Amino acid sequence: MVGKKKSLQEVEAVTEPIAVEEATAVNSLKASLEAIKECDGVVGYIVRNATSASIDLKDPTKIIDYAILSSSALDAGKVLSELFDLGDASNIVVNGKSIKMVSLIVGESKVSLFMDRSADSEKVLRRLHEI
Amino acid sequence: MDTEVYSFALKNALNEIQNICPDIKNAFMFREDGEIVAGDANTPEKTVVRVIDAFDGVLEKADALGGVESITLDSSKGRVSVSCMNDLYLVTVTTKKADMNYVNTVTRVLIPTVLKLIEKISPAPLKNSLSEPEMKPEIPMERKPEELLHGCAEETTAKELREPVQTEIKPEAVLPEPPVSQFIVENIGGLLVPSDTVRVDNELISQWNELYPGKKINDVEIETFGGKSARCKIKPIKESKHEGKGAIQVPGKIQFTLEIKKGELVRVKPIVE
Repeated sequence: MVGKKKSLQEVEAVTEPIAVEEATAVNSLKASLEAIKECDGVVGYIVRNATSASIDLKDPTKIIDYAILSSSALDAGKVLSELFDLGDASNIVVNGKSIKMVSLIVGESKVSLFMDRSADSEKVLRRLHEI
Repeated sequence: MDTEVYSFALKNALNEIQNICPDIKNAFMFREDGEIVAGDANTPEKTVVRVIDAFDGVLEKADALGGVESITLDSSKGRVSVSCMNDLYLVTVTTKKADMNYVNTVTRVLIPTVLKLIEKISPAPLKNSLSEPEMKPEIPMERKPEELLHGCAEETTAKELREPVQTEIKPEAVLPEPPVSQFIVENIGGLLVPSDTVRVDNELISQWNELYPGKKINDVEIETFGGKSARCKIKPIKESKHEGKGAIQVPGKIQFTLEIKKGELVRVKPIVE
Protein backbone atom coordinates (compact mmCIF):
# COMPACT_ATOMS: atom_id res chain seq x y z
CA MET A 1 0.00 0.00 0.00
CA VAL A 2 2.78 2.33 0.99
CA GLY A 3 4.70 1.31 -2.12
CA LYS A 4 1.76 2.16 -4.40
CA LYS A 5 1.36 5.61 -2.89
CA LYS A 6 5.02 6.29 -3.40
CA SER A 7 4.94 5.35 -7.09
CA LEU A 8 1.86 7.55 -7.63
CA GLN A 9 3.67 10.50 -6.18
CA GLU A 10 6.63 9.82 -8.40
CA VAL A 11 4.42 9.82 -11.51
CA GLU A 12 2.87 13.10 -10.54
CA ALA A 13 6.23 14.59 -9.90
CA VAL A 14 7.43 13.58 -13.37
CA THR A 15 4.28 14.53 -15.33
CA GLU A 16 4.29 18.21 -14.57
CA PRO A 17 7.73 19.02 -16.01
CA ILE A 18 6.89 17.13 -19.24
CA ALA A 19 3.75 19.22 -19.74
CA VAL A 20 5.76 22.35 -19.16
CA GLU A 21 8.47 21.14 -21.54
CA GLU A 22 5.88 20.38 -24.22
CA ALA A 23 4.31 23.78 -23.89
CA THR A 24 7.74 25.36 -24.08
CA ALA A 25 8.63 23.29 -27.15
CA VAL A 26 5.39 24.26 -28.91
CA ASN A 27 5.92 27.92 -28.08
CA SER A 28 9.50 27.73 -29.23
CA LEU A 29 8.38 26.05 -32.48
CA LYS A 30 5.76 28.72 -33.08
CA ALA A 31 8.33 31.43 -32.44
CA SER A 32 10.68 29.80 -34.95
CA LEU A 33 7.89 29.49 -37.50
CA GLU A 34 7.07 33.16 -37.04
CA ALA A 35 10.70 33.98 -37.72
CA ILE A 36 10.82 31.65 -40.74
CA LYS A 37 7.63 33.21 -42.08
CA GLU A 38 9.53 36.44 -42.50
CA CYS A 39 12.05 34.73 -44.81
CA ASP A 40 11.94 35.54 -48.52
CA GLY A 41 9.26 33.66 -50.39
CA VAL A 42 7.57 32.01 -47.38
CA VAL A 43 3.82 32.48 -47.64
CA GLY A 44 2.71 30.81 -44.44
CA TYR A 45 2.60 27.75 -42.24
CA ILE A 46 0.31 25.24 -40.58
CA VAL A 47 1.28 23.61 -37.34
CA ARG A 48 -0.84 21.18 -35.40
CA ASN A 49 -0.51 18.70 -32.60
CA ALA A 50 -2.93 16.52 -30.65
CA THR A 51 -4.55 19.44 -28.86
CA SER A 52 -4.18 22.53 -31.01
CA ALA A 53 -3.59 23.86 -34.50
CA SER A 54 -2.27 27.13 -35.73
CA ILE A 55 -2.52 28.44 -39.27
CA ASP A 56 -0.90 31.55 -40.61
CA LEU A 57 -1.25 32.07 -44.34
CA LYS A 58 -0.99 35.20 -46.43
CA ASP A 59 -3.89 33.98 -48.58
CA PRO A 60 -6.70 32.83 -46.24
CA THR A 61 -8.76 31.44 -49.13
CA LYS A 62 -6.27 28.57 -49.39
CA ILE A 63 -6.55 27.46 -45.76
CA ILE A 64 -8.72 24.38 -46.35
CA ASP A 65 -6.81 23.18 -49.41
CA TYR A 66 -3.45 23.68 -47.73
CA ALA A 67 -4.65 21.97 -44.54
CA ILE A 68 -5.81 18.91 -46.50
CA LEU A 69 -2.57 18.89 -48.52
CA SER A 70 -0.47 19.11 -45.39
CA SER A 71 -2.32 16.26 -43.72
CA SER A 72 -2.32 14.10 -46.89
CA ALA A 73 1.40 14.64 -47.49
CA LEU A 74 2.40 13.68 -43.96
CA ASP A 75 0.13 10.62 -44.06
CA ALA A 76 1.59 9.64 -47.45
CA GLY A 77 5.09 10.03 -46.06
CA LYS A 78 4.30 7.67 -43.19
CA VAL A 79 2.73 5.06 -45.49
CA LEU A 80 5.63 5.17 -47.95
CA SER A 81 8.28 4.93 -45.26
CA GLU A 82 6.61 1.81 -43.90
CA LEU A 83 5.95 0.33 -47.32
CA PHE A 84 9.54 0.59 -48.50
CA ASP A 85 11.11 0.14 -45.08
CA LEU A 86 12.77 3.55 -45.17
CA GLY A 87 12.85 4.20 -41.43
CA ASP A 88 11.59 7.47 -39.97
CA ALA A 89 10.36 10.06 -42.44
CA SER A 90 12.25 13.30 -41.91
CA ASN A 91 10.38 15.50 -44.35
CA ILE A 92 8.26 15.53 -47.48
CA VAL A 93 8.53 18.29 -50.06
CA VAL A 94 5.80 18.84 -52.63
CA ASN A 95 7.09 21.05 -55.43
CA GLY A 96 4.13 22.70 -57.07
CA LYS A 97 4.33 24.75 -60.22
CA SER A 98 3.77 27.92 -58.24
CA ILE A 99 4.02 27.00 -54.55
CA LYS A 100 6.23 24.57 -52.68
CA MET A 101 5.14 22.80 -49.49
CA VAL A 102 7.60 21.41 -46.94
CA SER A 103 6.08 19.13 -44.31
CA LEU A 104 7.79 17.50 -41.36
CA ILE A 105 7.21 16.35 -37.83
CA VAL A 106 8.92 18.33 -35.09
CA GLY A 107 8.51 16.62 -31.74
CA GLU A 108 4.78 16.06 -31.37
CA SER A 109 3.86 18.72 -33.91
CA LYS A 110 3.13 18.32 -37.59
CA VAL A 111 4.44 21.31 -39.49
CA SER A 112 3.87 22.41 -43.07
CA LEU A 113 5.50 25.45 -44.56
CA PHE A 114 4.35 27.01 -47.80
CA MET A 115 6.67 29.06 -49.93
CA ASP A 116 7.18 30.35 -53.44
CA ARG A 117 8.65 27.86 -55.84
CA SER A 118 11.92 29.77 -55.97
CA ALA A 119 12.33 29.97 -52.18
CA ASP A 120 15.20 28.11 -50.54
CA SER A 121 13.47 25.16 -48.87
CA GLU A 122 16.79 23.66 -47.74
CA LYS A 123 17.50 26.73 -45.66
CA VAL A 124 14.02 26.58 -44.12
CA LEU A 125 14.45 22.87 -43.35
CA ARG A 126 17.82 23.50 -41.71
CA ARG A 127 16.26 26.12 -39.46
CA LEU A 128 13.41 23.81 -38.53
CA HIS A 129 15.73 20.90 -37.80
CA GLU A 130 17.73 23.15 -35.47
CA ILE A 131 14.70 23.43 -33.14
CA MET B 1 1.22 0.74 -80.88
CA ASP B 2 -1.02 -0.68 -78.20
CA THR B 3 -0.65 0.01 -74.51
CA GLU B 4 1.09 -3.35 -74.05
CA VAL B 5 4.01 -2.32 -76.20
CA TYR B 6 3.99 1.13 -74.63
CA SER B 7 4.27 -0.43 -71.16
CA PHE B 8 6.87 -2.89 -72.42
CA ALA B 9 9.10 -0.06 -73.63
CA LEU B 10 8.74 1.84 -70.36
CA LYS B 11 9.24 -1.27 -68.25
CA ASN B 12 12.48 -1.98 -70.12
CA ALA B 13 13.59 1.59 -69.57
CA LEU B 14 12.84 1.32 -65.83
CA ASN B 15 14.79 -1.92 -65.56
CA GLU B 16 17.69 -0.37 -67.47
CA ILE B 17 17.67 2.60 -65.10
CA GLN B 18 18.02 0.19 -62.21
CA ASN B 19 20.86 -1.59 -63.96
CA ILE B 20 22.84 1.61 -64.27
CA CYS B 21 21.76 2.98 -60.88
CA PRO B 22 21.71 0.02 -58.46
CA ASP B 23 20.81 2.43 -55.66
CA ILE B 24 17.32 2.67 -57.15
CA LYS B 25 15.40 0.00 -55.28
CA ASN B 26 12.04 0.50 -56.98
CA ALA B 27 10.80 2.40 -60.01
CA PHE B 28 7.37 2.58 -61.54
CA MET B 29 5.04 4.91 -63.38
CA PHE B 30 1.40 5.74 -63.06
CA ARG B 31 -1.04 8.03 -64.75
CA GLU B 32 -2.75 11.05 -63.22
CA ASP B 33 -5.99 9.06 -63.04
CA GLY B 34 -4.25 6.36 -60.96
CA GLU B 35 -3.74 3.79 -63.73
CA ILE B 36 -0.45 1.87 -63.49
CA VAL B 37 1.57 2.37 -66.67
CA ALA B 38 4.72 0.35 -66.00
CA GLY B 39 6.74 -1.01 -63.13
CA ASP B 40 10.10 -2.62 -62.64
CA ALA B 41 10.50 -6.28 -61.83
CA ASN B 42 11.14 -5.60 -58.12
CA THR B 43 7.91 -3.82 -57.30
CA PRO B 44 4.72 -5.84 -56.79
CA GLU B 45 1.55 -4.35 -58.20
CA LYS B 46 0.03 -4.33 -54.73
CA THR B 47 2.79 -2.00 -53.53
CA VAL B 48 2.27 0.31 -56.51
CA VAL B 49 -1.46 0.47 -55.76
CA ARG B 50 -0.77 1.41 -52.14
CA VAL B 51 1.62 4.16 -53.21
CA ILE B 52 -0.94 5.57 -55.65
CA ASP B 53 -3.55 5.50 -52.88
CA ALA B 54 -1.17 7.26 -50.52
CA PHE B 55 -0.56 10.06 -53.01
CA ASP B 56 -4.19 10.35 -53.99
CA GLY B 57 -5.00 13.06 -51.44
CA VAL B 58 -1.89 15.06 -52.33
CA LEU B 59 -2.50 14.94 -56.07
CA GLU B 60 -6.18 15.74 -55.62
CA LYS B 61 -5.43 18.99 -53.84
CA ALA B 62 -2.29 19.83 -55.79
CA ASP B 63 -4.14 22.48 -57.78
CA ALA B 64 -3.74 24.69 -54.75
CA LEU B 65 0.02 24.63 -55.46
CA GLY B 66 -0.48 25.16 -59.19
CA GLY B 67 -0.18 21.43 -59.93
CA VAL B 68 2.53 19.00 -58.84
CA GLU B 69 5.97 19.04 -60.44
CA SER B 70 7.69 16.69 -58.03
CA ILE B 71 7.41 15.19 -54.56
CA THR B 72 10.34 14.10 -52.43
CA LEU B 73 10.15 12.11 -49.23
CA ASP B 74 13.34 11.98 -47.19
CA SER B 75 13.59 9.22 -44.65
CA SER B 76 16.34 7.93 -42.39
CA LYS B 77 17.09 4.96 -44.68
CA GLY B 78 16.21 6.27 -48.12
CA ARG B 79 14.23 8.55 -50.32
CA VAL B 80 11.11 8.42 -52.48
CA SER B 81 10.92 10.77 -55.46
CA VAL B 82 7.92 11.40 -57.65
CA SER B 83 8.45 13.33 -60.86
CA CYS B 84 5.65 14.52 -63.08
CA MET B 85 6.19 13.96 -66.82
CA ASN B 86 3.27 15.12 -68.94
CA ASP B 87 0.34 13.32 -67.34
CA LEU B 88 2.56 10.55 -65.95
CA TYR B 89 4.23 10.23 -62.58
CA LEU B 90 7.56 8.44 -62.21
CA VAL B 91 8.23 7.08 -58.72
CA THR B 92 11.73 6.07 -57.69
CA VAL B 93 12.78 4.69 -54.33
CA THR B 94 16.47 5.09 -53.60
CA THR B 95 18.81 4.15 -50.79
CA LYS B 96 20.22 6.78 -48.47
CA LYS B 97 23.65 6.59 -50.10
CA ALA B 98 22.31 7.13 -53.62
CA ASP B 99 23.86 9.97 -55.59
CA MET B 100 20.70 11.91 -56.30
CA ASN B 101 22.34 14.07 -58.95
CA TYR B 102 23.21 10.95 -60.91
CA VAL B 103 19.81 9.33 -60.30
CA ASN B 104 17.98 12.48 -61.37
CA THR B 105 20.16 12.93 -64.42
CA VAL B 106 19.47 9.38 -65.55
CA THR B 107 15.74 9.33 -64.81
CA ARG B 108 15.03 12.81 -66.10
CA VAL B 109 16.83 12.09 -69.35
CA LEU B 110 16.02 8.48 -70.08
CA ILE B 111 12.30 8.40 -69.31
CA PRO B 112 11.41 11.60 -71.18
CA THR B 113 13.47 10.31 -74.12
CA VAL B 114 11.52 7.05 -74.16
CA LEU B 115 8.24 8.95 -73.83
CA LYS B 116 9.19 11.25 -76.68
CA LEU B 117 10.17 8.29 -78.84
CA ILE B 118 6.91 6.53 -78.13
CA GLU B 119 4.97 9.70 -78.84
CA LYS B 120 6.89 10.12 -82.09
CA ILE B 121 6.27 6.56 -83.17
CA SER B 122 2.59 6.61 -82.40
CA PRO B 123 1.10 9.68 -80.74
CA ALA B 124 -2.46 8.44 -80.41
CA PRO B 125 -2.03 5.52 -77.96
CA LEU B 126 -0.48 7.83 -75.35
CA LYS B 127 -3.83 9.55 -75.06
CA ASN B 128 -6.29 6.97 -76.25
CA SER B 129 -5.76 3.36 -77.18
CA LEU B 130 -9.41 2.69 -78.01
CA SER B 131 -8.95 3.31 -81.71
CA GLU B 132 -6.40 0.50 -81.98
CA PRO B 133 -8.84 -2.39 -82.58
CA GLU B 134 -9.99 -0.73 -85.81
CA MET B 135 -6.56 -1.33 -87.25
CA LYS B 136 -6.39 -5.01 -86.36
CA PRO B 137 -8.50 -6.35 -89.26
CA GLU B 138 -5.88 -4.98 -91.63
CA ILE B 139 -3.45 -7.73 -90.57
CA PRO B 140 -3.29 -10.23 -93.41
CA MET B 141 -5.48 -13.19 -92.54
CA GLU B 142 -3.20 -15.74 -94.14
CA ARG B 143 -0.64 -15.12 -91.43
CA LYS B 144 -0.96 -17.79 -88.78
CA PRO B 145 -1.40 -16.57 -85.21
CA GLU B 146 1.59 -18.58 -84.00
CA GLU B 147 3.76 -16.73 -86.47
CA LEU B 148 3.05 -13.49 -84.73
CA LEU B 149 5.06 -12.58 -81.71
CA HIS B 150 2.09 -11.57 -79.60
CA GLY B 151 1.15 -7.89 -79.65
CA CYS B 152 4.52 -6.63 -80.79
CA ALA B 153 4.52 -8.34 -84.13
CA GLU B 154 0.85 -7.55 -84.71
CA GLU B 155 1.52 -3.95 -83.96
CA THR B 156 4.47 -3.82 -86.31
CA THR B 157 2.45 -5.27 -89.13
CA ALA B 158 -0.47 -2.96 -88.55
CA LYS B 159 1.85 0.00 -88.44
CA GLU B 160 3.68 -0.97 -91.59
CA LEU B 161 0.40 -1.27 -93.41
CA ARG B 162 -1.20 1.92 -92.23
CA GLU B 163 1.63 4.40 -92.28
CA PRO B 164 2.05 4.65 -96.05
CA VAL B 165 -1.73 5.19 -96.32
CA GLN B 166 -1.53 8.08 -93.87
CA THR B 167 1.23 9.75 -95.81
CA GLU B 168 -0.47 9.31 -99.17
CA ILE B 169 -3.42 11.51 -98.19
CA LYS B 170 -1.17 14.55 -98.01
CA PRO B 171 -1.43 16.01 -101.50
CA GLU B 172 1.05 18.78 -100.80
CA ALA B 173 3.85 16.43 -99.71
CA VAL B 174 6.56 15.95 -102.30
CA LEU B 175 7.95 12.89 -100.57
CA PRO B 176 6.05 11.08 -97.84
CA GLU B 177 7.55 11.05 -94.38
CA PRO B 178 9.60 7.84 -93.97
CA PRO B 179 7.41 5.32 -92.15
CA VAL B 180 8.73 4.11 -88.83
CA SER B 181 8.36 0.43 -88.00
CA GLN B 182 9.14 -1.49 -84.85
CA PHE B 183 11.02 -4.75 -84.87
CA ILE B 184 12.26 -7.30 -82.41
CA VAL B 185 16.00 -7.79 -82.62
CA GLU B 186 17.22 -11.19 -83.80
CA ASN B 187 20.81 -12.34 -84.00
CA ILE B 188 22.53 -12.96 -87.30
CA GLY B 189 25.87 -14.63 -87.53
CA GLY B 190 28.22 -16.42 -89.89
CA LEU B 191 31.49 -15.87 -91.67
CA LEU B 192 30.08 -14.07 -94.67
CA VAL B 193 27.71 -11.79 -92.82
CA PRO B 194 28.61 -8.13 -93.35
CA SER B 195 28.86 -6.33 -90.03
CA ASP B 196 27.18 -3.14 -91.31
CA THR B 197 24.03 -4.70 -92.77
CA VAL B 198 20.73 -5.56 -91.14
CA ARG B 199 18.02 -7.75 -92.63
CA VAL B 200 14.26 -7.22 -92.62
CA ASP B 201 11.31 -8.74 -94.49
CA ASN B 202 11.59 -8.40 -98.25
CA GLU B 203 7.92 -7.39 -98.29
CA LEU B 204 8.70 -4.32 -96.22
CA ILE B 205 11.57 -3.29 -98.49
CA SER B 206 9.18 -3.64 -101.44
CA GLN B 207 6.64 -1.43 -99.67
CA TRP B 208 9.27 1.22 -99.08
CA ASN B 209 10.33 1.07 -102.73
CA GLU B 210 6.70 1.44 -103.80
CA LEU B 211 6.30 4.40 -101.49
CA TYR B 212 9.25 6.17 -103.07
CA PRO B 213 9.12 5.39 -106.79
CA GLY B 214 12.41 6.01 -108.52
CA LYS B 215 14.30 5.88 -105.25
CA LYS B 216 16.30 2.93 -104.06
CA ILE B 217 16.24 2.26 -100.35
CA ASN B 218 19.69 1.02 -99.43
CA ASP B 219 20.03 2.28 -95.89
CA VAL B 220 17.91 2.48 -92.77
CA GLU B 221 18.16 4.29 -89.48
CA ILE B 222 17.80 2.15 -86.39
CA GLU B 223 16.81 3.81 -83.14
CA THR B 224 16.77 2.14 -79.76
CA PHE B 225 14.51 3.03 -76.87
CA GLY B 226 17.63 4.10 -75.02
CA GLY B 227 17.98 6.94 -77.53
CA LYS B 228 20.88 5.51 -79.54
CA SER B 229 20.72 5.38 -83.31
CA ALA B 230 22.79 4.10 -86.19
CA ARG B 231 22.65 4.06 -89.96
CA CYS B 232 22.99 0.62 -91.52
CA LYS B 233 22.72 -1.02 -94.89
CA ILE B 234 19.57 -3.04 -95.49
CA LYS B 235 18.99 -6.39 -97.13
CA PRO B 236 16.05 -8.80 -97.19
CA ILE B 237 15.93 -11.75 -94.81
CA LYS B 238 17.21 -14.81 -96.65
CA GLU B 239 15.47 -17.64 -94.84
CA SER B 240 11.72 -17.75 -95.43
CA LYS B 241 11.14 -19.23 -91.96
CA HIS B 242 12.31 -15.94 -90.42
CA GLU B 243 10.02 -13.79 -92.58
CA GLY B 244 6.79 -12.21 -91.38
CA LYS B 245 7.71 -12.39 -87.70
CA GLY B 246 8.27 -8.71 -87.09
CA ALA B 247 11.98 -9.32 -86.58
CA ILE B 248 15.09 -7.52 -87.70
CA GLN B 249 18.31 -9.50 -87.98
CA VAL B 250 21.13 -7.41 -86.54
CA PRO B 251 24.84 -8.35 -86.59
CA GLY B 252 26.63 -8.46 -83.26
CA LYS B 253 28.73 -5.38 -83.99
CA ILE B 254 25.67 -3.19 -84.53
CA GLN B 255 23.98 -4.68 -81.46
CA PHE B 256 27.08 -3.78 -79.45
CA THR B 257 27.16 -0.24 -80.85
CA LEU B 258 23.48 0.33 -80.12
CA GLU B 259 23.68 -1.45 -76.76
CA ILE B 260 20.83 -3.77 -77.65
CA LYS B 261 20.40 -7.50 -77.60
CA LYS B 262 18.14 -10.21 -78.97
CA GLY B 263 14.49 -9.75 -78.04
CA GLU B 264 14.60 -5.97 -77.61
CA LEU B 265 12.47 -3.55 -79.60
CA VAL B 266 13.96 -1.07 -82.05
CA ARG B 267 12.52 1.47 -84.45
CA VAL B 268 13.53 1.36 -88.07
CA LYS B 269 12.93 3.90 -90.80
CA PRO B 270 14.19 3.96 -94.37
CA ILE B 271 16.65 6.61 -95.46
CA VAL B 272 15.49 8.16 -98.71
CA GLU B 273 18.18 9.92 -100.70
